[in-house]
Amino acid sequence: MSYTLRGRLESRLAASILPFLATCALSLGLGAWWPLELAGAMIGAGLALDVGLYHRLLPYQPAWAALPLGLLELTATIALVRLFDVAAPLEPALWFFFGSWVLAQVLAHAGWPLARLTYAEDGGELGRGGLGLFVLAPAALVVVLGTAIATQPPTVRLTAGVHRGPIVIRTSQVLQGEKGAIVRGGIVIRASDVTIRDVAVVGGEYGFDVEHADNVRLERVSVSDAKLDGIHARRSSVTVRQCRIDSVGNRWAQGIDISFSFDKHPSRVTACTIVGGMEGIVTHFTMARIDGNHVSRTALRAISMTEMSMGEISDNEVWDALGIGIFCNDMSMCDVDGNVVVATRPDRASGDTARIGYGVLSSYHAEVELGDNELRANPVPVGTVADAHVVRK
Amino acid sequence: MADVAIVGGGLAGFIAYQTLRRGGLEPGAIAVFDPDPDPVATWRPRAEAIRQARMRSESDGHCYPASFPGLAPREAMRRGNLTPLAQTVCNRYRPTVREFLRHVDELRERSRWDESVLPSRVATVSPVEGGFELDGARFRHVLLAPGHPGLSLPSELGDDTRVVHAYEPHAYASRVAIVGAGMAAATEWLNALDAGAEVVSVRRREPLRRPLNLPRPLFSKRGLRRFHATPPAERAALLAELSAPSYPPGRAWDEPVERAAEEGRFRVAASVNGEEEVICATGFQRGYVHDPLLRRLASEHGVATSGRWLALASDSTVPALTDETRTLAVAGVQAQWAYPASDTLAGMKYAARRFVRRVKACRTR
Repeated sequence: MSYTLRGRLESRLAASILPFLATCALSLGLGAWWPLELAGAMIGAGLALDVGLYHRLLPYQPAWAALPLGLLELTATIALVRLFDVAAPLEPALWFFFGSWVLAQVLAHAGWPLARLTYAEDGGELGRGGLGLFVLAPAALVVVLGTAIATQPPTVRLTAGVHRGPIVIRTSQVLQGEKGAIVRGGIVIRASDVTIRDVAVVGGEYGFDVEHADNVRLERVSVSDAKLDGIHARRSSVTVRQCRIDSVGNRWAQGIDISFSFDKHPSRVTACTIVGGMEGIVTHFTMARIDGNHVSRTALRAISMTEMSMGEISDNEVWDALGIGIFCNDMSMCDVDGNVVVATRPDRASGDTARIGYGVLSSYHAEVELGDNELRANPVPVGTVADAHVVRK
Repeated sequence: MADVAIVGGGLAGFIAYQTLRRGGLEPGAIAVFDPDPDPVATWRPRAEAIRQARMRSESDGHCYPASFPGLAPREAMRRGNLTPLAQTVCNRYRPTVREFLRHVDELRERSRWDESVLPSRVATVSPVEGGFELDGARFRHVLLAPGHPGLSLPSELGDDTRVVHAYEPHAYASRVAIVGAGMAAATEWLNALDAGAEVVSVRRREPLRRPLNLPRPLFSKRGLRRFHATPPAERAALLAELSAPSYPPGRAWDEPVERAAEEGRFRVAASVNGEEEVICATGFQRGYVHDPLLRRLASEHGVATSGRWLALASDSTVPALTDETRTLAVAGVQAQWAYPASDTLAGMKYAARRFVRRVKACRTR
């Protein structure tokens, strides 16, 4: 079929009505935004490709092209989902995309030609109804965005200067620190949908203590001199972005510890700098993505996924760790790719043969899928102990 | 009395009738004028004459008013396998002529076509207040679907007793000259070679190789918008260029010819020489002037023309004789000014769908 640009857009928008309504219902039912965000990513990617690529490159589109174009749109949608950190679970998201794609094909090849005889000759245009979509679509966008803005948690400003902690957060909110905002004594989070930005925490038991909370975002925060962990999350899903945690001199603290959250949405730690402490980033029984971080001078392990955790450790830089750089342990499944692990030191004082300076170690029935990592100046670049596996990609 | 008339009961008229029926008109509301009630009475012997086995058109090559479901799903259901569907997705489905004819027969019966056919040939169409008069009977909406005006033979071969047109019944002599370079000519090369003949291809130009008669965007608004905006002289030149003979690319066409050429059984020549039989695969007479009804319409009622074409509106109507109360439209090969591929089944639907739209709009007014 030879689509006109208007035809492409109208066909796309018309085929999106049902998936959009379904995601509205799903979002209401779940009390979560991810279904709508996912639909937005899918429709947005499709419209962008229609305008930017398909219309120029495909004066005629044979029916078979729907398959490669569908895969291209899936890739673009996944890219948008990752870019905007949409917390959509993978399997339902893929089914949603597939169902929407099938519906679009059925409509394009059977539904519209039956309902409107001139559909193909009109290049996919849907007449007055199609024009109505150009009004309806922005209106729907305004309604969704309006609702999103109206239901956003309130923003609380933390003024510059030192505030006595611990600050305890029990309701959804955005805590926005002004430049120079410091909390002495830690921040305790006991509510879901909390975002904290641009705040420095000094001291306290934990820098950030998160329990039983979903969709917690910590962005551009820093922790120093905490007695225990810099960020301590239990039974929660958290996204930590661009943090700085300094645990130098504290042999018993973890930089970031996210644990016992396997049934929660996956957590993510990205673009953080962590120095010192026992473990830099550690997960127990959690699904997580740990990427783009810089971890150095840890006393036990730099990055650790353990106790049946599952996730991705990618594009991190690990320097000067004692004993082990990246650790996958206890039946965990770790995708280790694109990391740089340099100068791991053997921990001879421990007398533990599993701490002789591994760049990457898989231990106790764990499975590492090992991609292309740069492992330099480590006494043992990659190793396995206790019935663990390393599978090279 | 019916208020809708179709002049010509060939495939273009048949498709228009099917589209009108789908639009809600009963057989009694439609009059089809044609001496022969068989909608493929003209097409069938031509297809048989060139031993055509498959249709050239793709998935839309059927007479149903809607594009879906076409013949591919129908054949898949009948055969109980998905091959036709897979082929249609890849633009590789070409129904057999037998399948197509069976489909026409079924549709003819199901749509009660014969109830609407009036066995007469219309000689004149005269505009009257709020409609048209066709040989004495009045109709508000008229679709002219006269088909090809006649077979075309090169003038220099007019008196040659060896000559037969490819679309007339014929056998193959042992040495055959085939004149032409289009789909019919290519089909005849293979037919004659299959029959054991030695073939001389007489052609004025090298044949074009195109999957369809026209570039695909010209089948939809994407290409048509620009086409309709083209000035008349340019549009006429474009139509002339697009009507150059062509046949599809592919090994099925090339290999038998190449093999025969190696064996000395196929060669190309510029003119007919001493062959026993001359088959003219030279198509049809071109232009409205060869059709008496259209010629009279143009000369007596000031219908605009450009070159050999009737200058139709983009919806295939005759602008000078169409207004809010009545419609005069043209379908089939004579409607190329509105739709360059008007002689294809897809083109016939283009005219029919727009005609039905007007009929329904006027009926409800």
